[in-house]
Amino acid sequence: MQMHDQLLNAVSRNAARPATRRGILTGSLKLAAGGTMALAFAGSPAFRALEAAAAQAAFGSDIDVLNYALTLEHLESTFYRQGLEDFTVEDFTDAGYDEQVYEYFTLIGDHEAAHVNVLASTIEQLGGEPVQEAEYDFGYQDVDGFVGVAQALENTGVAAYTGAASALTDSGLLTAALTIHGVEARHAAYLNQILGEVPFPEAFETPLSPDEVLGIAGPFIVSGSVGGDDTQDAAGEDAAGDDTATGGTGAAAGGTTSAMPTTGSGPQIPAMFRKSF
Amino acid sequence: MGRQTHELILDAVSQGRPSHRGGAKLVAGTALALAAVPAMGALRARAQTLETEVDVLNYALTLEHLEATFYREGLETFGPDAFEAGVYDNLVLVRDHEAAHVETLVQTIIDLGGTPVEEAEYDFGYGDDPDAFLEVAATLENVGVSAYDGAAQFLTTPALVTAAGTIVAVEARHASYLNLITGEVPFPQAFETPLAPEEVLDAAGGFIVS
Repeated sequence: MQMHDQLLNAVSRNAARPATRRGILTGSLKLAAGGTMALAFAGSPAFRALEAAAAQAAFGSDIDVLNYALTLEHLESTFYRQGLEDFTVEDFTDAGYDEQVYEYFTLIGDHEAAHVNVLASTIEQLGGEPVQEAEYDFGYQDVDGFVGVAQALENTGVAAYTGAASALTDSGLLTAALTIHGVEARHAAYLNQILGEVPFPEAFETPLSPDEVLGIAGPFIVSGSVGGDDTQDAAGEDAAGDDTATGGTGAAAGGTTSAMPTTGSGPQIPAMFRKSF
Repeated sequence: MGRQTHELILDAVSQGRPSHRGGAKLVAGTALALAAVPAMGALRARAQTLETEVDVLNYALTLEHLEATFYREGLETFGPDAFEAGVYDNLVLVRDHEAAHVETLVQTIIDLGGTPVEEAEYDFGYGDDPDAFLEVAATLENVGVSAYDGAAQFLTTPALVTAAGTIVAVEARHASYLNLITGEVPFPQAFETPLAPEEVLDAAGGFIVS
């Protein structure tokens, strides 16, 4: 499955493409901002630890899924919090962005903080232990770089939720996850748009497995807690995330269900879905 | 997740429109008031019973038909000059996405042994006003997101959950863009509002005339 490549290609293709509407974005700035920068870190020791954790994680429980989501939301939330401390509205306007862009970045930051709070308290209510915020290095040097990383993070976030949602066994949690997922997609579309790119590049979102997501977002994490690092070894179901993601893509892009794995090889098939709204 | 989601989204839909676009706002609002047409009865009965996965997919297909027809007809009515630069091209893309969603849902329903619902006849009420067309588009996309969010929990096959997720995210992207170009906040809330089928039909069913 080339979903990973697709997304990376999308990120770097976008990065390489000269900005059409906004002359202010140079190719090199966008290159630094996109997933390509993240890729350059892929050999770091911290990355390998993350990778191992992710491969093992594979969602032994709903709490694992929520902690995976929380890991990404911490990343995003911190990213906006720090970025909006680093840059003022004047920095944004000096870089050629409307004042409104700064306001919307503030709003996006608020959303990510709200997602963190809701996920952390949900995990606690379920008797789990929420992962903590880690230390990050987002590598941006200026407003353009910051905006570019935002775009990469949001688009990756959508793919992550799309890939992980089916692993939730509780229908109420699935609904809750989707209410976050949609908002991440709105953020992603907006960021694409203000960077002169297509807000909705495909008819179907590309689901990514945890491994793939950590390949893109993990390198931003330099130390600290990682989603799933306290997994109870997911009972040999470590390929579940991949299977699910593949099935979704096959069904969606191919327009046929023949490639769709039935429940046999997927994640632990939820024995009971609560059919209540 | 229940709450007064219905009111929330209706408020968002009707109230969110900027005052300088009062005329267009009325069109979207009017459609919401049309929910009493006869076809609604049958639809409502169907939507309330999402007992099987085919039911859920047919519910989604009902909305995708609505959207696909809306853009197909609208882009026969309006050319590139009717919109600001870049908008028409994006609308073409949205149209193609909705058509692809229809196609995929139809095929999936058939593969599952079900009978896909057919396209109906619709009245979107935008007349010859491209701004009104965009307002209706924004309404449809935002309601679409809420519909998927409310219905996904009735899917039991993980692969179908994922497939629905790949569609709803794209609807959310559409909604974000359409909000933006109609002067709305692209992401008005930190969390989407899931709607139950009957609530969605209150919001979107008025466009269906037969």
